[in-house]
Amino acid sequence: MSEALLRLDRVNTFYGPVQVHFDLSLQVGRGRIVSLLGGNASGKSTTMKIILGLLAPRSGTVEFDGARIDGWPTHRVIRAGIGSVPEARRIFPLMSVRENLLMGAYGRADRKAVGEDLERMLTLFPRVAERINQRAGVLSGGEQQMLAMARALMGRPRLILMDEPTMGLSPLFVDRVLELIAEINRQGVTVFMVEQNANLALQIAHEGYVLQTGRIVLQGAAALLRGDPRIREAYLGGAAAA
Amino acid sequence: MSSFIDYTVNGLVVGNIYALLAVGLALIFGVANLINFAHGSVYTFGAYIGWAAVTFLHTPLPVTMLIVFVACAGLGVVIERVGLRPLQGKARIAPLLATIGLSFVLDQLVQLVFSPDPRAVPSDLPDWRLAVGDGSIGAMDILIAAVGLASAALLYVFLRFTKLGFAVRATAQDREAAQQMGVNVDAVNSAVFAIASALGGLSGLLVGMYYNHIDPAMSFQATLKGVVAQVIGGVGNVPGAIVGSLLLGLTESYGIALLGTTYRNLFAFVLLIAFLLWLPNGLFGGRATIQSEPLVGSFIAPSRPIRLPRWAVAALALAAFALPLATSAPYLLQTLTNAWLAAMLALSLTLIAGTAGQISFGHAGLLAIGGYASALLALDLGAPPILSIPAAGLITAGLGALLVFPAFRLRGHYIAIATLAIGEIVSLVILNWEGLTGGAMGLTGIPPLSFLGQDIFSNRAIYWLCLAIVVSLAALQARFLNSHFGRTLRAVREDEIAARSYGIKLDRYKGLAFAFGGFGAGVSGAIAAHLYSYLNNQTFDSQLSLLALTMVILGGMGNVLGAIVGAVALVGLPELFRVAAEYRILIYGVVLLLLIRFRPQGLLGTV
Ligand SMILES: Nc1ncnc2c1ncn2[C@@H]1O[C@H](COP(=O)(O)OP(=O)(O)OP(=O)(O)O)[C@@H](O)[C@H]1O
Ligand SMILES: [Mg+2]
Repeated sequence: MSEALLRLDRVNTFYGPVQVHFDLSLQVGRGRIVSLLGGNASGKSTTMKIILGLLAPRSGTVEFDGARIDGWPTHRVIRAGIGSVPEARRIFPLMSVRENLLMGAYGRADRKAVGEDLERMLTLFPRVAERINQRAGVLSGGEQQMLAMARALMGRPRLILMDEPTMGLSPLFVDRVLELIAEINRQGVTVFMVEQNANLALQIAHEGYVLQTGRIVLQGAAALLRGDPRIREAYLGGAAAA
Repeated sequence: MSSFIDYTVNGLVVGNIYALLAVGLALIFGVANLINFAHGSVYTFGAYIGWAAVTFLHTPLPVTMLIVFVACAGLGVVIERVGLRPLQGKARIAPLLATIGLSFVLDQLVQLVFSPDPRAVPSDLPDWRLAVGDGSIGAMDILIAAVGLASAALLYVFLRFTKLGFAVRATAQDREAAQQMGVNVDAVNSAVFAIASALGGLSGLLVGMYYNHIDPAMSFQATLKGVVAQVIGGVGNVPGAIVGSLLLGLTESYGIALLGTTYRNLFAFVLLIAFLLWLPNGLFGGRATIQSEPLVGSFIAPSRPIRLPRWAVAALALAAFALPLATSAPYLLQTLTNAWLAAMLALSLTLIAGTAGQISFGHAGLLAIGGYASALLALDLGAPPILSIPAAGLITAGLGALLVFPAFRLRGHYIAIATLAIGEIVSLVILNWEGLTGGAMGLTGIPPLSFLGQDIFSNRAIYWLCLAIVVSLAALQARFLNSHFGRTLRAVREDEIAARSYGIKLDRYKGLAFAFGGFGAGVSGAIAAHLYSYLNNQTFDSQLSLLALTMVILGGMGNVLGAIVGAVALVGLPELFRVAAEYRILIYGVVLLLLIRFRPQGLLGTV
């Protein structure tokens, strides 16, 4: 594994009295696609919240690009170069598609470059371009997913976090989203994605971690994980569905 | 003022004033999901700052407006810091209660600094009027319309085209998503409070100039009008707030033309109730709606209540009964008698707001019903108090349950608003039903308490009577809580949907809670009527409702002993230590703020 861009070290997280992460450690190498796999309620989205600073770990550290970011407010984490495609997309439904994209560039001051990036996103995501002046709330689920990805990229992140980007999409859209993730990665953005569906995620990921009730139970190169029978045992959800 | 045109102009002017308030409330609700009850206090603050600037510094109007704008923006930032930011992650009702505490504090500070006397805000506008048909438009009307229009236009440009405006809209639509775009949502909240408060302050200044009258008691009504306008336009909807305000202003103005000034507020609150019941999302519907959650239920901070052993409770009660044997100091006994009357109210509220989870911001309305019922039975029918008081309790139980019945299907912030409005409506009906209630003149010569034809004037006897009623009500309520009925009420509070799915008939349970609570509050109001021998529509005002809420939170929501402790602490102690009246409200506000921040479960814990 190359040099780590993101590193979680022995993170323990609680919701009130309930512990969600137990000594969670993981690394995302620069330029890689890393997937965090796990069934329902295993603590995947909570991992994203920890990285984003939406939730503070009780102990443990989060490092991004060599700097400790745990304890930072979310807006500072984002401005440090992390983009987020939240679970269930969370686009701004009453804003136009264009306004949503501009919100993605909220932390940037370089107006001209933002304009250029907007054009770039419209070529990368033609479905989004067609609907540029519509209210985002009327877009289909797949279109909203594209919009959420484009919105996150508008911040020119070095690392992009995606929480279940294929959830609820038709097979056609699933393939398209996976292609786009690979494409984004080829353009130099490191990707850390959460997925329930192991087979899908491991098609494009370089490495994977398997989370089970807050503990990493399996980790390694995607190629190895794909054939690993323990995936099936560790975590039935995606494997059974596929 | 007489012509249709004049009433229309007046309605639009007043509507513009409401709009300046309501737009701010809508912005704040948008980003913070909070109905800011301190908003009216900012309006009053703005009016007084403007008055001070004109009176002492002789500032010309544009400078006065600038001073008010800046000072109120600053106050808004402070309110956000104190009332909202420390309470993030707590129950959604917590910041709302905090803003009530803040409004107590702010109003009282204004009163201490500027005195409670009304003031006239001098205006340097020219005194010309433009004739329009059979009416006229003055310079003041044009100024207010211009400020209203300019504010709306600026707000539009701000929200649509500026970066901060984008952040405000994004935060309102999805706070967490906005954070993930790099928006500092705390800074957005702060900015929104500043803008909203600046507009609210301007509104206060303009009102002062328009009516040539300001006083520190005008806050609460201003908040309410802003809330009504918002509900009409859809809570959290900025353009809706403007339309709602203009409609409200016009309705009030035409209503006054038809029926007279004392009907102004009645129209507002009846409109409010109508919208809450039939169009809870307002005229434009759909948009940000209040997320439903059991309001007080969610404020019931989990806690292990402090349980006094039975003998200790009995010993306390005995000591209270024995006190008049040890002393006959009239001041002490009268003070504690007042505390017992307050305790009856608190017992009632802790049952309804705590145990049943139906927050009530209009509980003083029940006192008023009880007081008037007993007084009228005594005055008009010659009923002796020994009959009229329990009868008043029963009447309050029935009428109280009946009045809130339509509100039973409301949840969340809506119940708070609805009960507040019902409380106001009770007071306004009393004001306007002169034939029955004597209107603003009130009822005089209410006979004193008596027993078998013997008048009771002895402080001791009155003390014992009230204490005995409190103890009986408390004992009954404690048994009630441990019965099947009490457990069901708490189940409703924890999860209304689950309770309904178990086949619990919610309305029946809530109705019974209101009836039981109404009885105690009605008896309290009835006794007070006979003790005071005089009542008018302001004897039991909305401030008392909010004080009762503070007592109940202080004691611990749902906690029977806590309600009595809360009443004694807030009504008895300040009186015993002879805290000057003008500081009391200040103390109540500070107590409420501290409780919500540091001890939401109250002194004795929630049940
Ligand atoms: N705000 C919260 N308060 C309390 N508990 C929570 C909260 N959010 C999540 N949890 C709990 O933490 C655990 C992990 O939740 P998380 O959302 O991280 O799971 P997940 O792996 O993303 O699941 P899914 O596949 O369903 O999205 C779950 O048991 C969940 O119920
Ligand atoms: Mg999840």
